[in-house]
Amino acid sequence: MSSRHAPRAGGPAPREPVVARSGVAPETSRLHLGGPGCWTMGPLSRETWAQRLGAFRASPSAFMAGPEGEDLGRDLLNELRSEKLSEQTKVSLLALSLEYPAQLWPDAAAAEAAATSLLDTLVLLPPRPSALRRPLLLAATTALAAGGALGPTSGASRRLLPLLLGLASGRDVGRGFGPASEQRPLQATACECLRELESCKPGLLGGCLGLLRSLLGQEGPVQPLSLLLALALRNTLVIQARARAGLQGLLVAGDMPAAGGPWNWTLAEEGDAHLQPQAPSWPAAEEEECGLAVLEPSPEEARELRAAVAQLLDTSYLLTPVAQAQLLWLLGWALRGLRGQPPVLFKPQLVRLLGTAQLTLLHAVLALKAAFGEALFTAQDEALLLRRLTLAAQHPALPLPAHLFYLHCLLNFPENWPLGPTGEETAPLLLGPRLCRGLLPSLLHDPSALLAHLHLLCLLCAEDEEKEEKGQDWCPRHYLGELLAGLRQRAALHGGPRALATLCFQASYLVVHCLAMQPMVLTPLTHGLARLYRARPALAPHFVDLLDRVGPELGEPLRMALRQEVVSRPGRDEALRWHLQILSKVADGKAPSATLGFLHAAAAHCTDWGLQQALLQVCRALLRAGVGEGLADLLQALARQLEDPDGRDRARLYYILLAHLAGPKLGVALGPSLAAPALTSSLVAENQGFAAVLMVQEAPAPMRLSVGPRRAAGPVPVLQLQVEVLEPLYSVELRFRVEGQLYAPLGAVHVPCLLPGRPCRPLHLPLQPRRPAPAQLAVRALFTTPAGLTCHAHLPPLTVNFADLFLPFPRAPDGDKQGFFEELWDSCLPEGAESRLWCPLGPQGLEALVARHLDPFVVVAQPPTSYHVAIRLPPASRLLLRLEAAHGDGVPVALRTDDWAVLPLAGDYLRGLSAAI
Amino acid sequence: MAQRAVWLISHEPGTPLCGTVRFSRRYPTVEKRARVFNGTSYVPIPEDGPFLKALLFELRLLDDDKDFVESRDSCSHINKTSVYGLLVGGGELWPVVAFLKNNMMYACVPLVEQTLSPRPPLISISGISQSFELLFGIQDFLHLGQKNDTELNTKLNQLPDLLLQACPFGTLLDANLQNSLDSINFASVTHPQKQPAWKVGTYKGKPQVSISITEKVKSMQYDKQDIADTWQVVGAVTCKCDLEGIMPNVTISLSLPTNGSPLQDILVHPCVTSLDSAILTSSSVDAMDDSAFSGPYKFPFTPPLESFNLCYYTSQVPVPPILGFYQMKEEEIQVKITVNLKLHESVKNNFEFCEARIPFYNRGPITHVEYKVSFGQLEVFREKSVLIWIIGQKFPKSMEISLSGTVTFGAKSHEKQPFDEICIGGTAYLKLHFKILDYTLTGCYADQHSVQVFASGKPKISTHRKLISSDYYIWNSKAPAPITYGSLLL
Repeated sequence: MSSRHAPRAGGPAPREPVVARSGVAPETSRLHLGGPGCWTMGPLSRETWAQRLGAFRASPSAFMAGPEGEDLGRDLLNELRSEKLSEQTKVSLLALSLEYPAQLWPDAAAAEAAATSLLDTLVLLPPRPSALRRPLLLAATTALAAGGALGPTSGASRRLLPLLLGLASGRDVGRGFGPASEQRPLQATACECLRELESCKPGLLGGCLGLLRSLLGQEGPVQPLSLLLALALRNTLVIQARARAGLQGLLVAGDMPAAGGPWNWTLAEEGDAHLQPQAPSWPAAEEEECGLAVLEPSPEEARELRAAVAQLLDTSYLLTPVAQAQLLWLLGWALRGLRGQPPVLFKPQLVRLLGTAQLTLLHAVLALKAAFGEALFTAQDEALLLRRLTLAAQHPALPLPAHLFYLHCLLNFPENWPLGPTGEETAPLLLGPRLCRGLLPSLLHDPSALLAHLHLLCLLCAEDEEKEEKGQDWCPRHYLGELLAGLRQRAALHGGPRALATLCFQASYLVVHCLAMQPMVLTPLTHGLARLYRARPALAPHFVDLLDRVGPELGEPLRMALRQEVVSRPGRDEALRWHLQILSKVADGKAPSATLGFLHAAAAHCTDWGLQQALLQVCRALLRAGVGEGLADLLQALARQLEDPDGRDRARLYYILLAHLAGPKLGVALGPSLAAPALTSSLVAENQGFAAVLMVQEAPAPMRLSVGPRRAAGPVPVLQLQVEVLEPLYSVELRFRVEGQLYAPLGAVHVPCLLPGRPCRPLHLPLQPRRPAPAQLAVRALFTTPAGLTCHAHLPPLTVNFADLFLPFPRAPDGDKQGFFEELWDSCLPEGAESRLWCPLGPQGLEALVARHLDPFVVVAQPPTSYHVAIRLPPASRLLLRLEAAHGDGVPVALRTDDWAVLPLAGDYLRGLSAAI
Repeated sequence: MAQRAVWLISHEPGTPLCGTVRFSRRYPTVEKRARVFNGTSYVPIPEDGPFLKALLFELRLLDDDKDFVESRDSCSHINKTSVYGLLVGGGELWPVVAFLKNNMMYACVPLVEQTLSPRPPLISISGISQSFELLFGIQDFLHLGQKNDTELNTKLNQLPDLLLQACPFGTLLDANLQNSLDSINFASVTHPQKQPAWKVGTYKGKPQVSISITEKVKSMQYDKQDIADTWQVVGAVTCKCDLEGIMPNVTISLSLPTNGSPLQDILVHPCVTSLDSAILTSSSVDAMDDSAFSGPYKFPFTPPLESFNLCYYTSQVPVPPILGFYQMKEEEIQVKITVNLKLHESVKNNFEFCEARIPFYNRGPITHVEYKVSFGQLEVFREKSVLIWIIGQKFPKSMEISLSGTVTFGAKSHEKQPFDEICIGGTAYLKLHFKILDYTLTGCYADQHSVQVFASGKPKISTHRKLISSDYYIWNSKAPAPITYGSLLL
């Protein structure tokens, strides 16, 4: 590949400055004022650039939004070719482009153009040593990869990739790339650039595996080539496994892509859809998706693969420790699950690695442990690894952050045969109390160290729960108790830093979290915390926070202890606001008299708005808890006596609520408000909370109402209503309205409680007709939901039929029923009306018809042929029927009524009877 | 396995922001991967200003810790490692690896190659250990031999170029930044085949090997019936091998005298090529017995160019070098103190220096001292409320010395006297500072004749030993003292 060819291969036409340099005669060019940079805009001095870069770094977003922002990217590229600027300044310009390409060149097109310009600058460098080549390569790589421009259609990519590969393989890429002394560092840099491109586009170098292997075998720089090969190999394995393809001889494939020939993007395009973790996190790697189990290399491929991995591992000692660690992560996870690739290849490295204190190396060993488990680590190896880890977690020669990380690794140790639930921190089985001795917490520890070691101690205590206390050894639980006492003692110091108090509460929380089932731990903890409150009430916010976060195991006893702690003391000291804050958290229905006594006494000392509000906050808690007795007196007193009108109003409001709302509703009304809590007046915030509760809300009908069987008895007609509900309803009130004023206004029907699935007795709705006529009743329901909201709903209208109004006459004297009936019959005329009609009979005949519909009203019966019926129609009408001499399909009916308006209704009724059977 | 960004922030309490970003570096190609891997849980790297604020808040380094702030002070907000979540721009940036050392915050954010919700355990994130190595590497570079602010600034100015070498794309290539600095300077040297990446050049000159063993002894002494005194020796063996050739092989053996205390918990430099299993397994958690491996401890290695720590070890010596008691009783504005110190007869009685510092915390300045010493002199630092008993180069023949006296204090002023959370009331300590040259407490030494060098030329071999005190506390036996679990195992 020639130098002329490399940068221009497939690239766009050279840009302006290049034309200037090559198109203008050299002599003229020198006469121009200082090189190409000057004729886009005046050249910026070193100082100006320093200022500009400083302003940019201080806040890139602010700078880019400012007047200079737009030009920065363009200026920067131009200035790189300025002959006035020193190399050092240009390096700092390139450094900026390495960090902020997205700000300088915000889209793929701009990034492509920038990379092209950077490559142009690179090839135009004079052939003497220069500090710019390396950063220019890095910058072009960064611009392409970060700008999303890397790809087969990008001209800059087509120039950069062969150039990098040429440099990496130590080939002569032309005089423009500086003296021989610069080749070696550039070779390493090119490898790094290729590795970054491969990271961003897995599979990019899939076609170069054979080349990289042969370079590594020759005299290439070991570390950059090893890391590049390992990454490319890993990515290729993953992509091929997904495509269910083999390695296809990629490991032995020969030379680099032909000079100027097209780059092979096949694998990169397959890999493109899935950016692969180079070292997947362990749980994610459990999924088959990430594994390589599907890839079954042929014996020949497997041999090649093994040879390549062995080649990498054998020279790994030449790598820096951090690079060795990367190599192990990459290869470990590349080979995991690959058939026919036993992990013994790694074994020779392990002893060497276990001896070091290097964090990355030990971490990489743990990664291998997680990847291969028993296949690489026997039980003895596992024990040794644990010992080394325990040792590292406390070694005085290592810094604290390393100790804490190792301790974390211990509690998340990838055991061969884990017993506990996954995802939770546990002490590994082999980590006995003896190994842990040096890992226990001490008051001399830093906060995070203390918490980390405390967690381990808690895990030991949890294991120790079953065992009897040992006589000779100090039991871990005792030690835990002493330690917590020490923490509380420090937290109790007046004027001590908040960090000490925070630490004490964090430790308490951690202990409760781990040992919630151990009363031997919780009881002293509760008492200790109560004493801490007594000593330093100003810690009230921490107590409230703790109560919010712990379960009832500590929460319940601690509430009680704190309540006693507060109410047993006179509430008049400077700690009153803390006492009130605690009380508002812990006051409940228990022992309300002591709490009320305390509040009565405290009220006199609540002189400012804040204290009054705190006091009322406690009242609110008591209201919610359903404390009634005594609270009303207190609220009344507060409503009179508080100085602040806001406080008085609030007290009065609570009093009204207490007096008017039943317990459950009160609880809901005072429940957590959805409104923003930061409003100045507590009333406003609170109002929004219970305004919703006190208002009646429209709701869809939660019940079905129907008219049940008639019950012809009593002085007025009564509808029997049947109710079915879909959800529990309380305090149900049904309201009815008669359309057309046919009846007197109807009273509401009340039901305390309706539950779904539980049959409810029929509801009785007495009707007071003004005229004996059928009617429609509009129905509304008011009810309280289980959530305490009061709602109303419109139900479908109910129909009152003509027959629903029928009432029997009072009983006729015995023996003279016929006479009674005849008397009624005669009394209808002359004011009334008489009619005759034909009532069709169904197959059952007259007897069944009467029994079904008219039985309560029959006065004289001669079954099966003759019935005399008398019906009272409130308010003051009567309907008399004679059904006699039935034929096969009908019966002639003679009817009389004293209200002629009834006649058509009666006719319709009778004609409809047979159909109604 | 890469870093998204790295910061150095100097902590400046009392200034408006409480700190300044001294250095920061972002890695946009890694950031691009983070966006893909983290998916919906992705939180972008903030600008320096918001990062500074969020970090100092989380680490409680702002001056405003007066009020309870739930996001920081809640009991469930528990941090057990040096890895934090920072609230920035409406999201939580995690994991942020950060620690404070010498008033400098070191911080970086590693790439996590998966979603962050739920958070994966740190052990499964490959970039975490790399973050630590990067930060430790920067810290070593900044503080190695650094004496003043000017030097610090010079080194900070070198950092951008160094990281361009050591971590060009966010993936750390070498945590030894000094090495990267050398590689910039060595750039013109043509490298032969198989040059280790951790050795940027070759040495030319007179061959010499220097080995120095430094032992630090720690102790906690209580003078109480139910609490055991504890002490421990921590050793570090530092080597500088000036040898010609690319990969010279060296083997150093550490030996113990017949009654020496076995070396335990041995950690070696990565350049050590193999380790005896006895060295790998000797551990302080095991019960000591006569069968314990007692050397010689052989370390074959290929040395780097620079001075390096070949190994670290700990050891349990049978007695502490100086045994003492300290009694302090409070009497209104005075305290009465009695101190007794005894040098063990087996210890070399020839100090470079030896002194006992007796601080009085959470009290006012010293206004008056009446005292009697059996040996040495007492210096009084009134404003700092410290007594320093200068014992000098030798203990007297009796090996035992004592101090008694009465100290009176003035009124306490909060601004000048920092709060100490341990030394409250009668809880107090004295701390011994001493150094003995050409001596180790374990007896450990590197025999010049046992050093094997496989390189051209016979090197000059020099060895050095010293013992220094470190965290050597004697607690007031008349009041409670902080104890460790080890002290309870009588």
